[in-house]
Amino acid sequence: MKDTLETLQTNTLAAIRSATTAAELEEIRIRVLGRKGELTGILRGLGGLAPEERAAVGKISNEIKADIETALGAKKTDLDGAAIGAMLAEEWIDVSLAGPASSKRPERGHLHPISQIQYEIEDIFTSMGFEILDGPEVETEYNNFEALNIPDHHPARDMQDTFWTEDGNLLRTHTSAIQVRGMATHRPPFRVIGPGRVFRYESTDASHENTFYQIEGMMVDRNISVANLIYFMKILLKEIFRREVTIRLRPGYFPFVEPGFELDIHCLICGGDGCSVCKQSGWVELLPCGLVHPNVLRYGNIDPAEWSGFAFGLGLNRLVMMRYGINDIRHFLSGDLRFLYQF
Amino acid sequence: MWLSLNIIRDMVDLDGIAPEEIAARLTMATAEIDGIDAVNRHFETVVTAKIIDVMKHPNADKLTVCDLDAGKEKLTVVCGAPNHKKGDIVALATVGTKLSEEFTVTETKVRGVNSPGMLCSEKELGLSDDHSGIMIFPADTPIGVPLSRLYPDRVDVRLEIDNKSITHRPDLWCHAGFAREIAALFGRAFKHPVDLSIAKTFTNSEPLTVTIHAPEAAPRYCGLVVKNIRIEESPEWLKSRVSAIGMRPINNVVDVTNYVMAEIGEPMHAFDRKKLRGNEIIVRTATDGEPMKTLDEQEHTLTAHDVVIADAGGPIALAGVMGGGDSEIDDATTEIVLEAANFNPVNIRRTANRYGLRTEAAIRFEKSLDPEICPAAIVRCYELIKRLVPEAEAVTEIVDAYPRKHSENRIETSSAFIRKKLGQDIDDARITGILSSLGFGVRDSGGDLDITAPTYRSTKDVSIPDDIVEEVGRIFGYDNITPVPPMVPCAAPARNEFRLFERRLKTILSRDYGLTEVSNYSFVGEAPLAALDLDEGLELRLRNPLSQEQDRLRRSLVPNIVGNIAFNQRYSDAFRFFELGRVYIKKSRTDAELASEQTRITGCVYAKTPASPLFYDARTALTGLIGELRIRGVQLRPIDSGLPPYAHPGRSLEIVIEGKHAGLVFELHPAVRQRFDIAGQAALFDVSVDQLFAAKKLERSFTELRKYPDVPFELSLIADRFAYAEEICAIAAKSSREFVRDASVVSVYSGEQIPAGKKSVSVRVVFAAQDRTLAPEEIEKLQKGVIDALGKKGYALR
Ligand SMILES: [Zn+2]
Repeated sequence: MKDTLETLQTNTLAAIRSATTAAELEEIRIRVLGRKGELTGILRGLGGLAPEERAAVGKISNEIKADIETALGAKKTDLDGAAIGAMLAEEWIDVSLAGPASSKRPERGHLHPISQIQYEIEDIFTSMGFEILDGPEVETEYNNFEALNIPDHHPARDMQDTFWTEDGNLLRTHTSAIQVRGMATHRPPFRVIGPGRVFRYESTDASHENTFYQIEGMMVDRNISVANLIYFMKILLKEIFRREVTIRLRPGYFPFVEPGFELDIHCLICGGDGCSVCKQSGWVELLPCGLVHPNVLRYGNIDPAEWSGFAFGLGLNRLVMMRYGINDIRHFLSGDLRFLYQF
Repeated sequence: MWLSLNIIRDMVDLDGIAPEEIAARLTMATAEIDGIDAVNRHFETVVTAKIIDVMKHPNADKLTVCDLDAGKEKLTVVCGAPNHKKGDIVALATVGTKLSEEFTVTETKVRGVNSPGMLCSEKELGLSDDHSGIMIFPADTPIGVPLSRLYPDRVDVRLEIDNKSITHRPDLWCHAGFAREIAALFGRAFKHPVDLSIAKTFTNSEPLTVTIHAPEAAPRYCGLVVKNIRIEESPEWLKSRVSAIGMRPINNVVDVTNYVMAEIGEPMHAFDRKKLRGNEIIVRTATDGEPMKTLDEQEHTLTAHDVVIADAGGPIALAGVMGGGDSEIDDATTEIVLEAANFNPVNIRRTANRYGLRTEAAIRFEKSLDPEICPAAIVRCYELIKRLVPEAEAVTEIVDAYPRKHSENRIETSSAFIRKKLGQDIDDARITGILSSLGFGVRDSGGDLDITAPTYRSTKDVSIPDDIVEEVGRIFGYDNITPVPPMVPCAAPARNEFRLFERRLKTILSRDYGLTEVSNYSFVGEAPLAALDLDEGLELRLRNPLSQEQDRLRRSLVPNIVGNIAFNQRYSDAFRFFELGRVYIKKSRTDAELASEQTRITGCVYAKTPASPLFYDARTALTGLIGELRIRGVQLRPIDSGLPPYAHPGRSLEIVIEGKHAGLVFELHPAVRQRFDIAGQAALFDVSVDQLFAAKKLERSFTELRKYPDVPFELSLIADRFAYAEEICAIAAKSSREFVRDASVVSVYSGEQIPAGKKSVSVRVVFAAQDRTLAPEEIEKLQKGVIDALGKKGYALR
């Protein structure tokens, strides 16, 4: 019995060594280990043996079975690697050629809807004399909080749940951080915007994302007033929505502005009469804004006795969602082309 | 937070002002009102009626038909209750009464008998849980009177405040704060509900001392001992008010302390005096590991950052957050110690968060409450307790430990400054009037304003002239400000060339090469990196990731792009897209210096069954882009080693700009396709936008047109299958730098007549001279030169 087993082992391992395709290996596996295989047959026949002999043979059989399985697995890996190697050689092409294009001239591609609105808004601001600034997405705590008049332990830090990086920095929670960098490099008077990606430590659902886009804006000059801010916002929103919009300013608290406002617009769906979108109020909260807090100017080495300014933040995802009736903010970063082809 | 207009009405006259108007003005000037809610509005249309006669219902045994006298009218209704008789005075809900969201009383026929109204049980009216029969009033109750007159306390209108809109205003966490605002907005008088003179009746006949060991954490603590207390249910008015603002009535003392907090904003606590050990109240920080049980039966292990109220035996309250379980008042309580204190907001916030106890008290203390309100709160509490339990008696004076005196903020500004900041002409009198109505002290000397902010606005929210601008602006009404264009220099802004460059790239790829822009998260997780053999642990990690899939910042756009391919192949057999975005590179992950953020553009062409290698599509898009951007010094180098593990070594081309590696065009390695279950093929390019941007660009300049003819020369060569045709062209071009204008591949052929492992390459070489027509012998020499040069490199004519 033991001999039979060892012969089977020797022959099988030899067959595995000389196999050249995955199909051959599978054939060997079925022939030996399959339900009606040779080794399986031997194991079935153990019933007739004395108990001690049965145990001994059983042990050997299992060892042989394990050996064969290991050999099969190793050979399979080899063959797969060889197959990929063969494929790589087979697929070699002359990459120095311009080569034949596989298809006819493709359809026009689509820019991401956020890019589209961002460029549209950048152009509006550029036409009004605003310079476009950039800043890093991984920011220092100083630029994101402290220089914006949000000291340590300030409850406003809780309002913006923050992603922290292992190097002690953070993912910027608002594009206001770009404002801080702008003040470091620009002397008043100036008009700047800072568009970009921002991050919040927040579970995602249809109306919450951990990554979204804002445009921060700031105008600093000698006599900037609330009356100027209201005027400017009316003009800006008329350009963005391409029609007259009714706006109102309510008090709103943001540590980097004083006074601070929530700007509402008349609901674009019902025109202010009240509907389900505006929860019957007729108004939709659109953006925070205000006069730049003197502390923020001081952080930027700008003398608040001489200069004043206004600042505001526009959420681009919201704007796109309002414009196209998109009901789930998670579409933007889904990478789903069926979504992107619509814009 | 709910605001009861009944409570507000104690402090300001609301006659003639609709709740909607109050809500609208508050929203525009003070805080966001989330809703208006009429409490027990149905009490207006439920009236008392006398049963004149009760008859059996002709068609139903259990129903009766009642003739009613409802004062103004007589009517007959059907009733199913078992407990009424002729002569009873009952509650009649007239047609149109909305008893609940689901049920409005209408005129109906009940088993054939018309019933224009309904007799109600106490439960149906919302007065109690009693539903055993209809409500029957005492015999002397007037007839035809709406319930709103019988139960005036039960009828209320409440406003829901958006708490987020008042986080910066500690004074608004109570009714008094809002009443003050309403008074200022509508030009009415504000009357604070506390009469401090009541404190004169307190006698100092029993001992109580307060010691504050942690003055930074607890700037003030006021205590008062009140005896002869009886714990019982609160009266109707108090229960109604407490319920209207969303609190559950408990007993008279607890209801009063809660009420005072809602009314004037000071969180209160009452200890059972007999459960205290000794007569000294100690305010101190806890010791690490000190145990304490709070009112909610939770056991806590305190830390040295927590502040406790203690007696001789240990903590009796977690200061400003929750009382202790061992000193709680119960039905047998007869003596109490009232507490009104002030705590450091940072301590409170930390302690409340540490133990998950975001109580009404904690929420208020963490806003920086005014310590000046403490004695007033004690007095008000005592006054109300005395009203409910007349025998109650204060047996100490207010024991007041106040080591850190809070002062009023003084602000010097001018009405000219306020006008300038608002950009609106508001006269001096209006400015000082608004400030006075909000409780500010104003000394106006010719427009220079010396302003004293009230203590309740001095803890944090008003300290600089700009804060005064806001006070004036919001009460004046931002809607009343005339918009004015800013006077700023007329100047063209500096161009952000990098952003314009990004935009050009995106436009070229989408417009000319049909690639759609995707946007992926800046995050990546371990799994796709491992599947791409890229997991070298170099990515900057998040300290607080939301998930394992998003626990680090990407160093390459490729992993997410591969994910996009795997996803989109489910819906489409062929597509092409790109992403332009940032990657985050750190030399050392823990070094505090900010990551280097580099911008890359990564594109992809995918087809399930491509007719020819997709590599060439990706190459065409990228070289077309580089061409249109007029980038100088670009080399395209075939590359088969030193590649990232996801690139196919037989289908990769390196982009080199000014001698530096700038990117790669490649097809996905077959092993990667397998691991990501990608059916079909995908070719990518991945290039540094920073390098494209920084590269020198080809200037446009004019070259004199050639006047003499081009002489083309075509030849076919035998080459090794793995030879690069580009090299053949380069050799041909170098054979005469002066006269070869161009050398390009016409076709590549392998198959019949060509030996195995070889291919035939047809090349077209163009000769021309700038100053003459080439002579036949010159041409012959040039042709021979090309053939010899190729021959030397082993390329034989076919
Ligand atoms: Zn609407």
